[in-house]
Amino acid sequence: MTTQSNSSPTSADMGLFERYLSLWVAIAIVAGIALGQFAPAVPDVLSRFEYAQVSIPIAVLIWAMIFPMMAQIDFSAIAGVRRQPKGLTITTTVNWLIKPFTMFALAWLFFMVIFRPFISEELASQYLAGAILLGAAPCTAMVFVWSYLTRGDAAYTLVQVALNDLIMLFAFAPLVVLLLGISNIQVPWDTVILSVVLYIVIPLAAGYFTRKTLIAKHGAEWYDNVFMKRVGPITPIGLIITLVLLFAFQGEVILNNPLHIVLIAIPLIIQTFLIFFIAYGWAKAWRVPHNIAAPGAMIGASNFFELAVAAAIALFGLQSGAALATVVGVLVEVPLMLALVRIANKTRHHFPVNSQ
Amino acid sequence: MSNVIDIDSNAVAFIKQQGGVVTVRLSPRHVCCGGIANLAVAEARLPDNTQHFQHHIQDDISVYITPDLAAQGLRIGVEGWWKLRHLYVDGAAIQSS
Repeated sequence: MTTQSNSSPTSADMGLFERYLSLWVAIAIVAGIALGQFAPAVPDVLSRFEYAQVSIPIAVLIWAMIFPMMAQIDFSAIAGVRRQPKGLTITTTVNWLIKPFTMFALAWLFFMVIFRPFISEELASQYLAGAILLGAAPCTAMVFVWSYLTRGDAAYTLVQVALNDLIMLFAFAPLVVLLLGISNIQVPWDTVILSVVLYIVIPLAAGYFTRKTLIAKHGAEWYDNVFMKRVGPITPIGLIITLVLLFAFQGEVILNNPLHIVLIAIPLIIQTFLIFFIAYGWAKAWRVPHNIAAPGAMIGASNFFELAVAAAIALFGLQSGAALATVVGVLVEVPLMLALVRIANKTRHHFPVNSQ
Repeated sequence: MSNVIDIDSNAVAFIKQQGGVVTVRLSPRHVCCGGIANLAVAEARLPDNTQHFQHHIQDDISVYITPDLAAQGLRIGVEGWWKLRHLYVDGAAIQSS
């Protein structure tokens, strides 16, 4: 038995910001392009604050996006890894052994073959790189909302997220280097390592020690209800400011190729549905209960787009097509995931009900 | 339903070892796009403010529980090892704020 009622939560139960994320991202795109066109001095000045080829303002914004999420990861939850072995096996396999490769294959097929007449070779490679970064970064925070909307099992969701974060620490860089290498996109190992250290290791370590220290000093309730209440809202603010800045630099690319946003979105949409149905179908075949199958498939399908955006900027620059591709991932994420929530809720009766 | 929340025997032993008090509450998780999802958690300690909780004595344990989670058929278990040993709440769906 769970705490759920008979009716499924709907998107109306989501917060205003997350429900209309696509709209805010679209506004950020327009605001960023306008900033770049009418006040070009702003991006010019910001681009001067660099150290070791790392843009300091962008690094600060990326840490602002990522740190609050890292600060609430409870790694002790990994101890629960034995409780839902089927769900964890399916989602972990899909996330790390299937998803990065299907994303690569789909992006290569569309950008390098099908859309070849519409996209230059250089931009196609950049979009492929962005898609690879999205495919290698599984979602770590928004999944709690998708799990809530499908009446998912909270304990399983927590364990799966903690496990993914731990795997990401070691698997993200090798996967990205492997797939970029197969694509003949040369990125030096030291640049990849630097971006992983800057945007995964440092925020993760800072989040872990902040959490450990403050909980030891003030208790878990204070940490959740006071500290995180102040720090949590920084993530969406950091996200939107980063997008505005990114599009201040991207203005020319978008204005010259407005259709490219649609072209980039197509393989990303197909990938999201494909991965969802692989994980969901596998869960059905293994008779996994719906409250594990649904969040498991949603975790498989969604992306840690802040990390993908951060890595794209670090590896290829703010003005790169790779950064643009990762932002299109942000643009389509919420409508896509809400569509998957509807599918999961309408097919609930095909799955065993109880996880215990 | 007789119990406000089920506590398995290993969890009972662990809670007694930690002082005989357990708090069951909703822990808010901020998501990347501005929302909050609440997860049920259990901790072997007194709550910061007992007035916000229902209080029950069960299995010789003092249980402080958020009213939203009481008598919902949930179960407290214990898992992990050494310093990572901790309580968890099974059977709870995520709630919105």
